[in-house]
Amino acid sequence: MVTTQPTSPAPVSAAPPPTGRAGALAALRRVRASQALLLALLIVMVALPTLFDQIFGFSGAFQLHRVSLIAIFALAALAQNILTGYAAQPSLGNAAFFGLGGYLLAWLAGDLGQPYWLAIIVAMLASALIGVIIGGPALRVSGAYLAIATLGLVLIASSLFDLWDTTAGRQSYGINNLPGLLQDDHTLYYLVLLITVIVFALGWVLLRSRVGRAWVAIRDSEAAALAFGVNTTYYKLLAFIVSAALTGLAGALYAIWAQTADSSMSSVDQTIIFLAMIVVGGLGSILGSALGALFVGFLPLLLGQVPSPLTVGGLSIQVSTLTTGIYGLLLLLALIFFPAGLAAIRDHLGALAARLTRAGRSANTGGAA
Amino acid sequence: MQAFLQVTLSGLVTGSLYGLLALGLVLVYRTTGVLNFAYSALSTFGAAFLFVLETGRGMNFWLALPLSLIFSAVLGAAMERLFARPVLHAPVFTKAIATLALALVLSTVAQAIWPQLAFTEHFPTPFEGASFNVGGVFVTAAALMALGVTVVVVAALTLFLGRTRMGMAMRASADNQPVAQLMGAPVGRIFLLTWAVATVIGALSAIMLAAQQRTVDISYMNPVLILAFVAAVLGGLDSLPGALVGGIAVGLAQNWLALLLAGHQIGPLDISAPGIRETIIFAAFVIVLLFRPQGLFGKAELRNV
Repeated sequence: MVTTQPTSPAPVSAAPPPTGRAGALAALRRVRASQALLLALLIVMVALPTLFDQIFGFSGAFQLHRVSLIAIFALAALAQNILTGYAAQPSLGNAAFFGLGGYLLAWLAGDLGQPYWLAIIVAMLASALIGVIIGGPALRVSGAYLAIATLGLVLIASSLFDLWDTTAGRQSYGINNLPGLLQDDHTLYYLVLLITVIVFALGWVLLRSRVGRAWVAIRDSEAAALAFGVNTTYYKLLAFIVSAALTGLAGALYAIWAQTADSSMSSVDQTIIFLAMIVVGGLGSILGSALGALFVGFLPLLLGQVPSPLTVGGLSIQVSTLTTGIYGLLLLLALIFFPAGLAAIRDHLGALAARLTRAGRSANTGGAA
Repeated sequence: MQAFLQVTLSGLVTGSLYGLLALGLVLVYRTTGVLNFAYSALSTFGAAFLFVLETGRGMNFWLALPLSLIFSAVLGAAMERLFARPVLHAPVFTKAIATLALALVLSTVAQAIWPQLAFTEHFPTPFEGASFNVGGVFVTAAALMALGVTVVVVAALTLFLGRTRMGMAMRASADNQPVAQLMGAPVGRIFLLTWAVATVIGALSAIMLAAQQRTVDISYMNPVLILAFVAAVLGGLDSLPGALVGGIAVGLAQNWLALLLAGHQIGPLDISAPGIRETIIFAAFVIVLLFRPQGLFGKAELRNV
């Protein structure tokens, strides 16, 4: 009798997923793992203030303040990732909106005395509007040209903010009438955390919706997307608007955090920070945005613990410059060894876990499926 | 009128030096697809090396110059091997950030090796103070040197790319790398050579700029880099002559604007500030790109489906 079953030296794929009740249980187990992790993370973040107070004592509030900054940067990282990682627009101009959000907040809430929540919303809307104005013409320019052109916009914004400061006779736009609620590190942290969680949740929904799929289609092949009837102009513009509004929000929150708005918010250095976050974290990945913000936010803090000045052999360096150099080196190493970003580690871990469980399962059943 | 001529001359001089930098940027971009944000740091190394040879070892400028150029070539080649090669197949953004990270590392290393450059130091050159009066316009020897160096570099580059086998291989590789590789172009060596040549050009530009302003410090090339990028993009990132033209345009615009706006005010605003000048230049640059998204001399992009 001729057997139709081909013989193979080793199983080329895992055991087929069990169906029926066993399948549902397995699916539930999978979903539970990542959701449980997320829930655990949320619990930790909510409990962080008390944790920090226990661990750090007096400096607990100060450390918490720094974590708030990481959350704000995560917002900006998500914004940049939407524009550059998903919709694949190499626009380096987000720092302009970062500064715009900050300065608008300082002006409306600080000088004009408007309520802070209103100022934040206005900052977002203004950024969205300017995002449209920039995004429209930006559609004509592409690639490295777009990158340098948007960098030029950042520099223009920086000069304009500098000008505003100089004519007003100040070094930076300080906010003097911050309500006590926003000055308290604990409440500020909770506010920033709430906003970040909401934005990331909305972002997750958006990126899994038709809009997100359109962006990925445009990124993978704009011509193919067009051929499939995707209105690339509309979706690219939408990416600019969403990214700008989100960055404006981050800028406004940053101004509250720092109690001042400075023209360095719209600088090349700031642009580098935004790009580094998404490149290290992972382009086109929500998790990547958060990981990138963690990397970029924590590293200078860790390096700041080194005593100054440091003497190695015959060379003596001021620690602040050493920090920059080591930061650059670690960034470089991260890019060489993780070109897909830190978020890709999750996929590696997932594959590893799958392989381990598969090996365990097949060992129990005593052979290939 | 005299002021205009004087200012035009200095615009041409700084513009051609910007053009040299833009040339180096376009060279690396066309061949390796990398926007080299570490260019200012690399160029500063060349100038710093020359400075240290002169002041530390009392070496003659004309001896120190070729030595620092050799140093720059070796540095460029080393950077290509150590940093550009590992990220060769990474997406474009990763490569750009890699060069930015490299810039951070280089500037830290420079500050560690040459702590004396944390302060603005005088940059000694043999052609200081010498100037000629041509019809009422003062031409400094440094300016002549700068223009001369530019002409020599452009001529040498044109000859190399147009007449030599390696130059042809470089152009082929820039046009279509896989095909060039299939036809036997030594792509690895091309990349190495490109970075080495670009670094030498950058070092020359940095040295001439330092000679112009007679001072040097650790970060004096950083603001110049942005202008060089603007010049390169303005000229079209795939056009070498365009880079030079872009550089000259930026240099002229800078100086003409300085002359035009000097001493003027709009209300309490002093519009002769350098920040305003740069803002106008960037704004004009963005507007030009709106009408010509591929730059002045770039080729309109034909996207393959």
